[in-house]
Amino acid sequence: MNDIVGIDLGTTNSLIGVMDSGFPILIADQNGSRLTPSVVYFPESGEPVVGAAADRMRTLSPERTVYSIKRLIGRRSGESEKDDFPFVVKSQAGRMLVEIGKALFKPEEISSMVLRKLKADAESSLGHPVHRAVITVPAYFNDAQRQATMRAGELAGFTVERIVNEPTAAALAYGLDRLGDRARIAVYDLGGGTFDVSILELNDGVFRVLSTNGNTRLGGDDIDRELMRLLKDRITARHPELRAELENKLFAARLREIAHAAKIRLSTEDVVQVEIPFLSGHRGFSYNLARQELEAIARPIIRRTRSHCLRSLDDAKLDPLKLDEIILVGGVTRMPIVRQFVAEIFQRLPNIPHNPEEAVAVGATIQSGILSGQIQNVVLLDVTPLSLGIETFGGLMNVLIPRNSTIPCKAGEMFTNAVANQTAMQIVVLQGERELAKDNWELGRFELEFEPVAKGLARVGVQFEIDANGILHVLARDIQTGREKIVDLNSAVDVADEAVEKMIAESLDHAFEDMAERLWTETVLKSNELLPAVRSALTLVGEQIKPDERRKIESLVQEVETALKSHDQRRLKQANSELDEGTQQLATLLIDRAMAEAAKRKR
Amino acid sequence: MIDYFALLDLERRPFIADESLKNAYLRKSEMTRAQTNGLDALSSVNMAFRTLSNPAARTQHLLNLEFGDARGGCLAPDLGAIFGPVAEAVQMADRELGSLSAQSSALVRALAYQKVDGVRERLAEVETELSKRYSGLLSELQQLYEIWRIDPAQCRDRLAQIALRLKFVQKWLSEVHERQIRLEELA
Repeated sequence: MNDIVGIDLGTTNSLIGVMDSGFPILIADQNGSRLTPSVVYFPESGEPVVGAAADRMRTLSPERTVYSIKRLIGRRSGESEKDDFPFVVKSQAGRMLVEIGKALFKPEEISSMVLRKLKADAESSLGHPVHRAVITVPAYFNDAQRQATMRAGELAGFTVERIVNEPTAAALAYGLDRLGDRARIAVYDLGGGTFDVSILELNDGVFRVLSTNGNTRLGGDDIDRELMRLLKDRITARHPELRAELENKLFAARLREIAHAAKIRLSTEDVVQVEIPFLSGHRGFSYNLARQELEAIARPIIRRTRSHCLRSLDDAKLDPLKLDEIILVGGVTRMPIVRQFVAEIFQRLPNIPHNPEEAVAVGATIQSGILSGQIQNVVLLDVTPLSLGIETFGGLMNVLIPRNSTIPCKAGEMFTNAVANQTAMQIVVLQGERELAKDNWELGRFELEFEPVAKGLARVGVQFEIDANGILHVLARDIQTGREKIVDLNSAVDVADEAVEKMIAESLDHAFEDMAERLWTETVLKSNELLPAVRSALTLVGEQIKPDERRKIESLVQEVETALKSHDQRRLKQANSELDEGTQQLATLLIDRAMAEAAKRKR
Repeated sequence: MIDYFALLDLERRPFIADESLKNAYLRKSEMTRAQTNGLDALSSVNMAFRTLSNPAARTQHLLNLEFGDARGGCLAPDLGAIFGPVAEAVQMADRELGSLSAQSSALVRALAYQKVDGVRERLAEVETELSKRYSGLLSELQQLYEIWRIDPAQCRDRLAQIALRLKFVQKWLSEVHERQIRLEELA
């Protein structure tokens, strides 16, 4: 059959859908669930297990259960700061690999296992094979991440008909029954591992993206991690003797599950009792976690989405009041603090769909319907999220295709030889918004070949085209000979990464000696930044807090000062972190004060 | 060189209303999609829209088409005058932002937010000034249309000056906006 399925390949969960009599329908697995956890468990012997069954193994076999692989797909070594996974992540020839026992897996191979399960579920449900798919990615994914996602689809046995941006897919799901309307909407998509914000214009069935922005390293997983840290602190406060035991992987895995579940419950309850039975031996641990505590640690993470929203609005040249609707996508947006935050930025209440986890999959399915012709009169005009350019003389980036250009799009540049008989010239292709080439992400490099002629006589035209998937294709053409060549950028990347590998290997030799000293210095720097800040803050807004609050802060300051003399890095780090947490309220008061003064001045 | 105006079935002119340009683009985009060699042609249509929606790029494109003009002219004195305050405001913002890192705690950032009030004001001032220039230049383009209809050649010098000014004003506006957003990130 020629069905095209729509797939949301999420960090935490994946979904698959298909068009049925003109409607997008999400497919359930044998247990009736439309959500398949993006988790793969590798037993000592036998086939890998995917989905809910694998998810259950996270706390039992954390080193052999892979989750949130989307955080690694398409990334090169050095791009992910210690993501803190319980399974082993290695670096080889510039690529990130997952190591289970003796076997090594590329991230796209793991993703393809998830896709294969979805494929099997769909085929079982539909009663016939499916070969074609639309797969979604975060709008802010770069070229390598998109290509890796396509490869994952191909490895699973799909022909990937289109890579679609997640916020755009969600907009499709929202707008499908409002096709006659004209509206401007913003999609705020906060998932497990990635954040995107897109602004679209809906006009008679045409969904046109005006701008998109985001962060591929920001999501619910970060909140889980902070909550884990908080719970660990509470446990060690009560049971300091357990500190070492808490470092083991099994416990970390259990704690992550507990933290994640608590976070979800706190969206509807004000306080939850966190239970860790048999914490150590017969000892259990019970703690009442209040929503405010969660919000205090989640707030700085959520706040990081603000600048992306502002940039997106700026690029779309729209004032937030000109928007008709704000749509929330992703499970994390169920948190009340996220809803409040979005309402503040966009100055209106967001639209809360019943199932924020399903919107993207529904949208992907709609796109599959558009491609197969089952849905007419709907058109998607998406954009490329990052500016594309090349490195020029002086180490600057010359933008060829600006960000938020509608795709597909292309740009051409003409190159000539700088010296007589020059046979090659290296072109470095970049994606990003910074002035200097080195501050942007290198997509790849290639060698332009020249015929040996006098200086300035060679003419090679290079065409850069970004296709409807947001993936770059480069075509070089020698004007004299008329010869055309499709430029392959992949191979060039390995060469660059080998150099990086070598650099990392060399620095690692010295790293051990320096490491301890460096950590201490970093921690001291933080103290030296924090202490004067606290004193200033107390001077400026100290009278607004209660006296015992103030005393508490002062004792935390004391602890930092003592720890500084102790040369105990762990102790100082802990002291810094407690002072940081303890002065959050002061920080808020300061911001309020600054904003009030600014408002007064405007009048 | 491709004539982006012709590609969108538009008459060559210095000023196009946003709505008209958008409608022309959507119309052409739909027609192109229906054709068989759709995808390649679609890229050009998208680039045409991109170029024509950007006033600086559109004006330069018009000059290139009509007069085969390369970039010309030196920085106008009035622009030179505003360059100073813009550069200063941007550099001040960068200095403040540079002293913070991703590791800085909420309190440190909050204090910085307090402190950079002066910088924020400066940025707002130059932003207003630049926006005024920008609107002014767009109005000039609109007014030039009358002369353009009668005798395009007469507009050449004026268009060249506007193209140059727009290029710098647009660039500086985006630099200023970027710093304003980064300062907001502190809150």
